[in-house]
Amino acid sequence: MILSRRSVLVGTAIAAATPLRFARGEDTIKIGGIAPITGPAAEAGKFMQNGAAMALEKINGAGGVLGKKLEWVVEDDATTNPGAVLGFSRLVSRGDCVAYTGSIRSTQVQAIAPDVLKAAKPVMFGGTNPGLTQTGNPWLFRTRPNDNYSARVIADYGVNTLKKTKWVIIHSTDAFGTGGKDALVANLSKLGITPVLVQGYSNQQTDFTPVVLAVKQANPDVVSSYFTFENDLGIFARQLRQLGVTVPWVGSPSIINTTALNLAGRALFGTYGIADFTPDASPEATAYATEYVKRYKANPDNQSTWLYDALLILANAINTAKSTDPQEIRKAILAVKGFKGTEGTYNFDEKGDGLRGYNVVKNVNGKIVFDKRIEFTD
Amino acid sequence: MAIFLQLLFTGLGIGAIYALVALGFVLLIRAASVVNFAQGQFAMVGAYMLVVCLNVLGLPYLLSMAISVVLMAVFGVIFAGATYWPLRHRGGLPVIISTIGASIFLENIVLFLYGPSPEVLPGLFDSPGIQVGQVFMDSQYLSILVAATLLVVLQYFIFEKTLLGKKLQATSQDKEMASLLGIPVAAMILFTFSYSAMLGGIAGMLVAPVLFVSVGMGGLIALKAFAANIIGGYGSIPGAILGGLALGVAETMGAAYISVPYKDAFAFAMLLMFLAVRPQGLFGEKISEKA
Repeated sequence: MILSRRSVLVGTAIAAATPLRFARGEDTIKIGGIAPITGPAAEAGKFMQNGAAMALEKINGAGGVLGKKLEWVVEDDATTNPGAVLGFSRLVSRGDCVAYTGSIRSTQVQAIAPDVLKAAKPVMFGGTNPGLTQTGNPWLFRTRPNDNYSARVIADYGVNTLKKTKWVIIHSTDAFGTGGKDALVANLSKLGITPVLVQGYSNQQTDFTPVVLAVKQANPDVVSSYFTFENDLGIFARQLRQLGVTVPWVGSPSIINTTALNLAGRALFGTYGIADFTPDASPEATAYATEYVKRYKANPDNQSTWLYDALLILANAINTAKSTDPQEIRKAILAVKGFKGTEGTYNFDEKGDGLRGYNVVKNVNGKIVFDKRIEFTD
Repeated sequence: MAIFLQLLFTGLGIGAIYALVALGFVLLIRAASVVNFAQGQFAMVGAYMLVVCLNVLGLPYLLSMAISVVLMAVFGVIFAGATYWPLRHRGGLPVIISTIGASIFLENIVLFLYGPSPEVLPGLFDSPGIQVGQVFMDSQYLSILVAATLLVVLQYFIFEKTLLGKKLQATSQDKEMASLLGIPVAAMILFTFSYSAMLGGIAGMLVAPVLFVSVGMGGLIALKAFAANIIGGYGSIPGAILGGLALGVAETMGAAYISVPYKDAFAFAMLLMFLAVRPQGLFGEKISEKA
């Protein structure tokens, strides 16, 4: 094949001109969404599109919204903050989206938050940094439990069930990892424990030897973690095992993500995970997982479920509000009580948080085994 | 001490990868005065070729590597034809921009053809590594170090001891003079592209079991390799190797003894320091315009 300039140009032009859409036609109600189609989380972007496709089929199969079909228009965020801001502003400037979906990455939600305020339409997101819904931005709604809860569950499980006292916390230094770390330190301190090591790292590393050696020197009896990207988690996991650290490890949800399980393989056997979504947690989760496996021949994870729930909640809210007026949709979302989604039962509070519980799971030779679900009321 | 040695081993292993990619950079700078910003993507393309041969076609490991290396050589020529050849008379900048374009194109075409799932490649050896005293030597890092050493020796031999190498050197020193002497300058430049793509590809295949194979893997390495180049001396071959190793060790040590979150900062602080104090780098000549 001879790659001439022209063929390259034509190829690029075709690629650029092909928009990613899930339903076509004029008479639809549109939800705009950003997703990592490219960049380090591109696989998660694919999972999101899978989840969205399933949600749209369910919504439109049941009559759509306000008698029209629902459509999810996606823009690439390139897994970066500038990409997220750019993608979101492209969606806003289309002018025809009645609401939006954001990112599962807290850092990116933080990046688009000022534009969300300006757009003044509901934005569903999956980032778990507790602060995201605490800044008084009325348009942000979270379809995952925030890290105040994940940290409480990690601390509770490690201290009361595993009976561990010498803690190491490994965390990404981005908005998600730092928020998680802060929440975990606070929750451990309530139980009278000061971690022997709190170690941050910046995303997208080539090597974790310095971190692993620091863990080894601290001589903990339990390792806990808030990893943002699965490739970082995979490299860390393998080096941790290679350098002989075998103590129990309780990780934030990324530790049981499909991508992480594929990359790290054996290195994650025996670890514990705090999961917002796991197939055995509820009948809704099981039904979703069965359908997802049938369609995509792969196991679902929270990368698709938060968006699936987000679209169902939005459709439900628009139908309840009988309007696409942003204020009306907002009121309808806040009024959601007892909505059974794949991630749990949603009861939105006035801040925009829908869920307050996590599941504890264990990686038994690569299979994720459900242990228990811990729900909070406060 | 055990910790220091462990860090040194890892630092050298990761540094050897920077060095291999930096070597590819240097060769193109010397032969064609091109700073190839797609050098990191060469590593990514090489790793994906290995994934296809190994995981998709199910070929044996060494055969897969051999096929991938040959394919990379061909790829290098195609790359030169697309990015360098049409612009070769327009000075350095258009070619540099065109390699930046190519790097974006390569990432997206692989994403399009292969899909976004990152891949796991097994290491060259089944054993995860060996324990020497208190130092654990990861077998893949050992492979990387051995392969890098072999490639450097091979390269020295080709460049210094063969007629082909002399022709390549002549081309890099003065293209007009070389062509007057009957050296096929165009062929030499194409050969350099091809060789540099092979080097990049090998670096990618070697590092794949450590870093996993993903579309973005090249970008992670290339920036460091470029810094290694400057530290070692812009356009210097021994400089690229030592610069790469020094960078790998410096960032690993800096992370362990000073601060992990600022690991990348150590690499680039070192770069800044060199630019300020010794801009010609470790082995660079005092930069003067080539006649």
